[in-house]
Amino acid sequence: MKKIYLCSDTITGLFSAIYDAWETGRREEECGISFRESMEQELFCEYYETQETEKKARAVESMIKRHLGRRVYWDIYHAALSGDRRKGDAILGTMLAARQIPDSTRIMEHLSHPQVERVFELSRNVGGEAHSYKGFLRFKELENGVLYSEITPKNQVLTCLAPHFADRLPLENWMIYDKTHRMFVVHEAGKKWVLIWDEGIDRSFASRESEQELLYARLWKSFCRTIAIESRTNPKCQLSHLPLRYRGDMLEHM
Amino acid sequence: MFAYIMEVYRTNVCICYIAQMQTLVFEVYKMNMRIQESMSMYEKLNILTDAAKYDVACTSSGTARKGDGTGMGNCERSGICHSFSADGRCISLLKILFTNECIYDCKYCINRRSNDVVRTSFTPDEVCALTMEFYRRNYIEGLFLSSGILKSPDYTMELIYAALYKLRTECSFQGYIHVKAIPGANQELVRKTGFLADRMSVNLELPTAEGLKLLAPNKTRKNILTPMRLVQNRMAENKQELALYRNAPRFVPAGQSTQMIIGATPETDYQIIQVAESLYQKFELKRVFYSAFVHVNEDKALPARTDEGPPLLREHRLYQADWLLRYYHFQASELLSEENPNFNVVFDPKCNWALKNLGQFPVEINRADYKMLLRVPGLGYKSAVRIVKARRLGVLDFPDLKKMGVVLKRAMYFITCSGKMLYPTRLEEDYITRNLLDAGERLPEELRNMGYRQLSLFDDVRFTEDGLSWKARAGGAV
Repeated sequence: MKKIYLCSDTITGLFSAIYDAWETGRREEECGISFRESMEQELFCEYYETQETEKKARAVESMIKRHLGRRVYWDIYHAALSGDRRKGDAILGTMLAARQIPDSTRIMEHLSHPQVERVFELSRNVGGEAHSYKGFLRFKELENGVLYSEITPKNQVLTCLAPHFADRLPLENWMIYDKTHRMFVVHEAGKKWVLIWDEGIDRSFASRESEQELLYARLWKSFCRTIAIESRTNPKCQLSHLPLRYRGDMLEHM
Repeated sequence: MFAYIMEVYRTNVCICYIAQMQTLVFEVYKMNMRIQESMSMYEKLNILTDAAKYDVACTSSGTARKGDGTGMGNCERSGICHSFSADGRCISLLKILFTNECIYDCKYCINRRSNDVVRTSFTPDEVCALTMEFYRRNYIEGLFLSSGILKSPDYTMELIYAALYKLRTECSFQGYIHVKAIPGANQELVRKTGFLADRMSVNLELPTAEGLKLLAPNKTRKNILTPMRLVQNRMAENKQELALYRNAPRFVPAGQSTQMIIGATPETDYQIIQVAESLYQKFELKRVFYSAFVHVNEDKALPARTDEGPPLLREHRLYQADWLLRYYHFQASELLSEENPNFNVVFDPKCNWALKNLGQFPVEINRADYKMLLRVPGLGYKSAVRIVKARRLGVLDFPDLKKMGVVLKRAMYFITCSGKMLYPTRLEEDYITRNLLDAGERLPEELRNMGYRQLSLFDDVRFTEDGLSWKARAGGAV
């Protein structure tokens, strides 16, 4: 009977489930991974709860890095951040497929394998969204000088964004809130960034903006309006580059 | 502005009944002073953004630089778009003029000295404050600083240098900076500015020297090419320095670019891409940007105003050809010629070239060399690379090509796989043209909205007749 491991939708959870599944099966038909939040029960399956521990996750991480290489880990990690419901099976399937081929580090070139192709797509999708948010994200300055931003991504892109902004704004206090997944990334000036799960944090502080904020927000809005050339107006082109779903959190489109 | 002052003044007159001329002059003077002083940052930014919006292009690619932890900013090789304006162009940099107080009288430019527009200038401090505050809110990827000529080229360049110096040192800004080198400015100033910027550009303004003489009487071709050459030479020297000392300061690491206006003067597409080609070869430019001419001034030397708007399709075709020159190993002389000097309206330059050179087709996918694969319509350089890699492992067939991202709808007339074409087709220009059009080749907007007309049996669907060539469409340009 197929064994399906239940875990939470986090990297630690997913990697722990892979750890457990890895010990049971060698083939895709033998094991699978489902998320507690979005589980749809199947027939003829046994369901197991995964004990999620840091240790298991680290073991899986180092195993992937050692046997499949850092580039494959990059793809798998990004796929694991995806909002897709079946990403667990795709990643597990890819890892099992990598066992079958002589050079496991080249697994991502085997795009004819359906699970490998899925991981590739998911990774590209997450990478693409993260890249978009590097540009489309807007900070506002709060009363206490902290830069604060809210985003609504489909995937859990915070861990992709944090290193970028930590490198870019090392001497600033900033935080980004992911409204979809209810997570914060917080960076204190001169220190490393941390990821925090929102368990009922009062976000009323976000509405207390600094005095300067209004001034620069107004300048930016008028800049965006003025920079367009009227006789070249092309809303379709704008829409294809900047889909509507990003605009809700963007100052100039609010 | 004068009109505004008079307006205000007239109201004053009505109320106060002041009649003496002296008071009037004094009042206007006072008013003028007041307005000058009270121009806020908001108004300044509006004016100087509005004046800068015709500059292309707002790209932030070409440099990869990590922050060093002491300031603010870094650069990504691919560049980052931060927003898109209503015209669909990317907003990546804070694109502003340093000043629109210009001593030149270029006929196509909104800031020509004979135009009655509100004039203002930033100070280096204001530019720094704007850039830093916008950057830390993640509005922008960096600064794009251009300028009108205030007093003299040297004076302007010095101000620009001062702004960049302050930004790089006092504010420790490590983001992207694109700056214009002012033709005619002191070479040392241009050189020093280049060490602070990521990309430098000198505007070619118009494709030919005659055009320049006609529309920009204060500028000369020689003055424009001198700083371009300077930047090129300095970049070559810098390469040597960097080979020797890894941490030597970098001179214009994202390369040099230029831009020219399309459609203001009667040059043909052939002349324009020849100019672009020689710029790439002789000046090693990273990019040449084309900017469709937008009517902002009335002048008898400019083409007559029409309802068609800027020549966007022509600009598009030029960019397509530009890509063929840079990435697809094409020569300008292959794409166009003296006899046939303008691009086809319906087909892109590559497809057009293929139709004219059917003798070189069909191409065998499993054997043709990389450069020939690049020339097949429907094949981009990514799919060409994938084909070259994949055919080492096995024989490729049409379904495999489809997976690699080849546009078979277009490519199928020009390729064979293991000696077979996808469908039995004829290698005839008319046949392929007709089929490509039938297959729903996306026609450019300009053609779709052309309206109805009677078709005759012998119509040439490729519209290469003079009736639709660019020159005639420009509406008697000059």
